[in-house]
Amino acid sequence: MYRIRIHGRGGQGIKMASRILGTALFRSGFTVQDAPKYGAERRGAPIFSTVRAARATGPGQAINERGIIHRPDLVVVADDTLLAVPAAGTLLGIDSGSVVLVNSHEKAATWRERLNLDATLLILPAGEEVEDRAELPHVGATCAGAAACLLGVIEPEALAAAIAEELAGLGEPVVEKNRTRALAAFTAMMDQRGVVREGTAIAAEGFTPPSWIELPFEDASISAPDIRAAANSVQVRTGLWRTLRPVIDYDHCGKCWWVCSTFCPDSAILVENGLPVIDYDHCKGCMVCVGVCPPHAIAGIPEYLAQAQDALETETGESNGPDTADR
Amino acid sequence: MDQTLLTGNVAAAWGARLAAVDYIPAFPITPQTEIIETLGAWVDTGEMPGRMVTLESEHSMLTAAGAAAATGVRVFSATSSQGLLHAMEMLYTVSGWRAPFVLVNVSRGLSAPITLEADHNDILAARDSGFLQIHCADCQEVLDGVLLAYRLAEDPGVRLPVLVNLDGFYLSFTREPVSLPDPAAVARFLPPFDPGNIRFAASAPESQAVAVLGGSPYSYFRYETHLAAQNALAVYDRVAGEFESLFGRQRQAVEAYRTGDADIVFYMMGSFATKAREAVDRLREAGQKVGLLRPRLLRPFPTDAIAAALDGVQGVAVIDQNLSMGQGGVLHTELAASLYGRPGAPAILTSFIGGLGGREITPEEFYQMVAVTREAVTAGKAPPPRLLYTEAELREIRKLQAVAQVEREETTPLRWSEDSNQGGAGHE
Amino acid sequence: MSDARIKRMKDLPSTHLLGTGTPMCSGCGGLEALHEIYDVLGEKTVFVNAAGCMTLLSVYPFTPFRGSWLYTAMASAPAGAQGVRDALDILLEQGRIPPEDDLEVVVLTGDGSAYGMGMSATSGAMDRNLDFIYLCYDNEGYGNTGQQYSSATPHGAATSTSRGSRGYPGYKKDLFAVWAAHAPAYVATVIGSEPLDLARKIEKAKEIRGPRMIIALSPCPTGWDYDPKLSVEIGKLAVSTGVWPLKEYIDGKVTHTRLPHDRPPVEEYLKLQGRFAHLFEPARDEELLADIQARVDRYWENVTPA
Repeated sequence: MYRIRIHGRGGQGIKMASRILGTALFRSGFTVQDAPKYGAERRGAPIFSTVRAARATGPGQAINERGIIHRPDLVVVADDTLLAVPAAGTLLGIDSGSVVLVNSHEKAATWRERLNLDATLLILPAGEEVEDRAELPHVGATCAGAAACLLGVIEPEALAAAIAEELAGLGEPVVEKNRTRALAAFTAMMDQRGVVREGTAIAAEGFTPPSWIELPFEDASISAPDIRAAANSVQVRTGLWRTLRPVIDYDHCGKCWWVCSTFCPDSAILVENGLPVIDYDHCKGCMVCVGVCPPHAIAGIPEYLAQAQDALETETGESNGPDTADR
Repeated sequence: MDQTLLTGNVAAAWGARLAAVDYIPAFPITPQTEIIETLGAWVDTGEMPGRMVTLESEHSMLTAAGAAAATGVRVFSATSSQGLLHAMEMLYTVSGWRAPFVLVNVSRGLSAPITLEADHNDILAARDSGFLQIHCADCQEVLDGVLLAYRLAEDPGVRLPVLVNLDGFYLSFTREPVSLPDPAAVARFLPPFDPGNIRFAASAPESQAVAVLGGSPYSYFRYETHLAAQNALAVYDRVAGEFESLFGRQRQAVEAYRTGDADIVFYMMGSFATKAREAVDRLREAGQKVGLLRPRLLRPFPTDAIAAALDGVQGVAVIDQNLSMGQGGVLHTELAASLYGRPGAPAILTSFIGGLGGREITPEEFYQMVAVTREAVTAGKAPPPRLLYTEAELREIRKLQAVAQVEREETTPLRWSEDSNQGGAGHE
Repeated sequence: MSDARIKRMKDLPSTHLLGTGTPMCSGCGGLEALHEIYDVLGEKTVFVNAAGCMTLLSVYPFTPFRGSWLYTAMASAPAGAQGVRDALDILLEQGRIPPEDDLEVVVLTGDGSAYGMGMSATSGAMDRNLDFIYLCYDNEGYGNTGQQYSSATPHGAATSTSRGSRGYPGYKKDLFAVWAAHAPAYVATVIGSEPLDLARKIEKAKEIRGPRMIIALSPCPTGWDYDPKLSVEIGKLAVSTGVWPLKEYIDGKVTHTRLPHDRPPVEEYLKLQGRFAHLFEPARDEELLADIQARVDRYWENVTPA
């Protein structure tokens, strides 16, 4: 059985990617189970979906395994910025037999070095870059196309038919664009076709017993679902959802902090010495501040570019924050 | 191939569509909402005849469903979890009306704490309501279960509403290959609803669901409902037989998987039972005689079929994806009650609580449950019930409690159960 | 309605459709209103009932209805009406019943359901423009359980859960206004002691489609603590003192169908009822009496004659 996990951000078509891959496998004679993992299914937030596919043994044969895939044969990462987000769990359960496909502008060697992985790491050359990665066009279909090639059991025709089936409701122009990208991605991976191997089930012989415990009784003062902290949600770094970063140009800032700071839905624009300061740990990148700023002093720039710039400035010791002490 | 990939929710909607339902009172709730969205889209485009109305609560939804059924149309509705409990008064009420219809429940753990993923405390809270219950393990069973449910509900010898249960997320949002039966064949299996004397009409004045004063008439009406539910056992067997001959799929009241020569058997219901099926295959590969017994029909309870399947089995590992506070697993209690005193019944029933709120049950846990049950058979004594919960999970909860700033009295030692035989359950 | 068939008392129906033999209290003002309404509506009706005094209209094996009836539950009778109405429409559309088998769907609830537990279901039914009649018999308390206060209980009234010297501390909710805010097809207040006004309104409601909402103040000898023979007198005083305005809402406009001139003091109405006895004995509670009177006066100051 193939066990596949696809990671991306809300809005990138990750559920659609698993459906395309699932349908393509189903059309190729496999019995299939695919599912999105819902939870924080918000735009920009890390999400994933799963596909299981087994060689069909007969009609009505369903896959008995269910739920999250703990030992994937193939992991597809549609957005390489997620690899640095531990909560995204992109690399969960990867071992030397796994294949990791990363949609990235960077080289495989770079990622291999950064991640220090035992697995086969491949790069799907990312298509044209866009401002807002939450709206990466066709990334779901592109990833599905590349994955289909790596599995080696899906013909391009089955992939094209699966895209037509899954995207039928969106109209033929959309189908055509997705099909073109997916088939191009399929072709781009041809030298690695069939690199993914079917994994095996966990054997009942010589298994590691679960470390069950007796759950201790605890008083309701401890065991009721109560939080005795105030506003500790600030520990959640929602800035990781951000695909666009608002940046204040302090040379043009009108110091009318009450505009941007009030309208920011996330209370993520602080006011320091009469100046607005964006809390990038929590800013989700909605761009409301960009729209309301009277002197148009806030610009939205792609987060991946901003991160690259950050890395550069860290090396050279510069800072792009406001020097509020001077103002 | 006549199969298509459908989520459990869409399979349920297809069941309603193929059953040619007249009326769909609805109310949204996760993880059920996709069912009513799917039906709503079909009704809007005219792909499906019928009328859909969104009520302002599940309590009202169930009232409208029962009232429409009592007027003589074929009714379908769906809910989940808190919604089922919000409607609970009406579940008991409309079953007493003896008006047949089908309600799908997408199982989800109950509040508090409020959560999204599946366990069976919601559907089991409706256990004594008078609704019959069909429990599904995969998406195909969801579609088939809805069709079977209509035959069962509308049978003149039954005339009770039926709940069809599927697990949230694990089935509701999961696509699997599903055979869509030919509508003409479905029409042969399930002809249009003949309400008989179920009606409101100017020419036939009728007062339905009237009050009684005194226990004697009350006892009569209530016990008649019970007898109708019991009658449904034979009706189900007949209907499932017809279903199999028309569609080729076995839908017996109880699924017995590799139980024939088994000495240890898993007993559980719902979609996690397919995980048990997988574990059975792996255990068989390892030379162990293990099987799975899964009630599809929980109400009426197929006591005889279960007892027959367990005849000669040494130990049963009962896995309850539910929890009756202060008692334990509901399936365990019911199985013990139905086997007590029967010759040939298994001597050992071990009790495991697992999968609460969608918590995974891993393959290793299934294997270990067999090992524990085998030890109990050898010892001649079942161990205390066990929650499937690991040391790592407790460590994780400790981290969360630290964030929540739950005050812990460091001087008070944790009271570990003395019969813990796992060891290594370290204190924080 | 100018072409109304019922113009004078003599035009009122002489045959009564609601069967005798019900277990309602003797002198029940709610039953009086119900039978008067039923006489105008006719027997091609299905009553959808919520928990309340009138649960017991039909106790197995007896029913007073010549038409049909469905007992539901306290919170959801309007939803029951939705199910019955929709099912009848489906059966009619599909030709499974002849048009003459159609029924008018009538919700029947007390104030406990209408003003409280059933309000969400009622609001929803109006939102959905359900074609039904809602009849609330309002006896200003949870009567069937022994007259505990409800949100229909008037200020100062003693109930079995407000036995103190100042009675019920809250004020009666303006259900007419709450209903009218939904802009349904029709809203009206009625009372059994004014049968001509009642019959005209029900006749009018019968001719309209959509939600038609009726509140009948229902003098209650048991809950209000008076001699049953006074039911009509108390009802008439409720209208003449201005405590119970008779009015209707239609097409966005509220019209009073009775403008009481030379209103007698409200205490004429109050003093006949044991639930207000503490306002008079052992000493007159002038403050409370003045408060109640002032509220009635203020209401009528804002009413412009039609």
